[in-house]
Amino acid sequence: MIFEHEIPEGSKLYFGDSAKRKREIEQVASEVLYKEGFEEIVTPLFSYHQDDSIADVKELVRINDTKNNKMSLRADSTIDVVRIITKRLGRNTTHSKWFYIQPIYRYPSTEQYQVGAEVIGESDLSVALNQAMEIFGRLEVKPLLQISNIAIPMKLSKLLNIGLDDFRHINIQKFLELDIEWVTKLVYLQHPEDIDAVIEIVPDEIKEELFKMKEICQKIAYKNKVIAPLYYAEMLYYDELFFRVIEGNKIHTRGGRYVNEDVTSVGFAIYTDTLIEANK
Amino acid sequence: MLTVALPKGRIAQETLEIFETIFGESFKFDDRKLILETENFRFLLVRNQDVATYVFHQAADIGVVGLDTLEEQGLDVIRLLDLRRGVCKVAIGMRVGEKLDLTKAEIKVATKMVNITKRYFADRAISADIIKLYGSIELAPLVGLADMIVDIVETGATMKQNGLEVIEEIMESSTYLIANKNSYFEKKSEILDIYEKINDVVKQEN
Repeated sequence: MIFEHEIPEGSKLYFGDSAKRKREIEQVASEVLYKEGFEEIVTPLFSYHQDDSIADVKELVRINDTKNNKMSLRADSTIDVVRIITKRLGRNTTHSKWFYIQPIYRYPSTEQYQVGAEVIGESDLSVALNQAMEIFGRLEVKPLLQISNIAIPMKLSKLLNIGLDDFRHINIQKFLELDIEWVTKLVYLQHPEDIDAVIEIVPDEIKEELFKMKEICQKIAYKNKVIAPLYYAEMLYYDELFFRVIEGNKIHTRGGRYVNEDVTSVGFAIYTDTLIEANK
Repeated sequence: MLTVALPKGRIAQETLEIFETIFGESFKFDDRKLILETENFRFLLVRNQDVATYVFHQAADIGVVGLDTLEEQGLDVIRLLDLRRGVCKVAIGMRVGEKLDLTKAEIKVATKMVNITKRYFADRAISADIIKLYGSIELAPLVGLADMIVDIVETGATMKQNGLEVIEEIMESSTYLIANKNSYFEKKSEILDIYEKINDVVKQEN
């Protein structure tokens, strides 16, 4: 039996102060992004292409069109935004900096409001990351910025013959028991100022990836940051440098570099709901 | 300051003894109190099954819990270190003399550990009817409630006393030091420092 006051589990309801905060977050984000030359895009709620951007297709809320083709509700904005700009608007615009303010939906009834930005054709992640941190600055939130590079666990997995699951579960006991000095240093590496000492002793293929982490740290003025070179998360599209913005147990933002049909781009998504929650 | 969730009972006692060995001071909860605060740590005394929940939601940064409980709950926390304590097995038990017949159309299994049991039989493509019980699991095959049980076995004495025997081991378990995924990155030096110290004690013991 469903009571009159019930709303589906995972759906969102904002009113009064929380609705005001939501509007404020979206307003501040759009002001920052417009000022930096971004344009807004609102993509359709219904999509034919979500299978390409979701790791677990069971999370899609599926429906069919009039010809019984499979569609789903938007479960991820990034790939749809990039696809629409490059494939549908390609002839009408050469603009590359876009932002969106729209929710995503996951099966069975999870809603998540997001503010996202994509810089199409850009390979320098700091372009996106600095925008995200400026938005947090304007919102007077000082979360922890974690910078990682997914190429490092991928390469180490092959080099050391350690499964990616051990990286996903941060199985440090396994890494430390290898008793290899540079692996131990990678486990302990936390602050950008310590990266040089580790770069000196790692194998060349890891050195190259740590340099990228060092470079991006130098381009980010935001102080409250850590580096986590062994952090691995299952992601469908980030292929190199990526970041998380965390506060307590909440993840406010994820972003990174990705390649879609040979075009390298960078972007991020701010999870509006967790920011509203943090404000309570 | 690190917050540490400990399961009430023997494991909490043993873990606090490790802290006493490391820091050379006394770590004791006052009678019936559930929080113990020291200069660098805040210990919480919680139910065994709740340790990973406290850590997952970051009410505690680290905790100590059995691998069987972690596997059953499936919460996304970091398994930092095997403390090599509370060693036991999760095993299938049946009445003495009975054999596991996986060709039966319907297998009934009684257990507290529904998820581990489901995964075990699903991996072997066996359709099992799993009956969740909260205690006295050994009784189920004796009164015809189930064909077999999946339960924790330390010495096997409880099963033996009830006319059951272990016919297959599903997994080995011991207590683990776990950490919250965000706390690990925020407080990495503190967490790795205590990891090292506890690891030294565990290594010396073994």
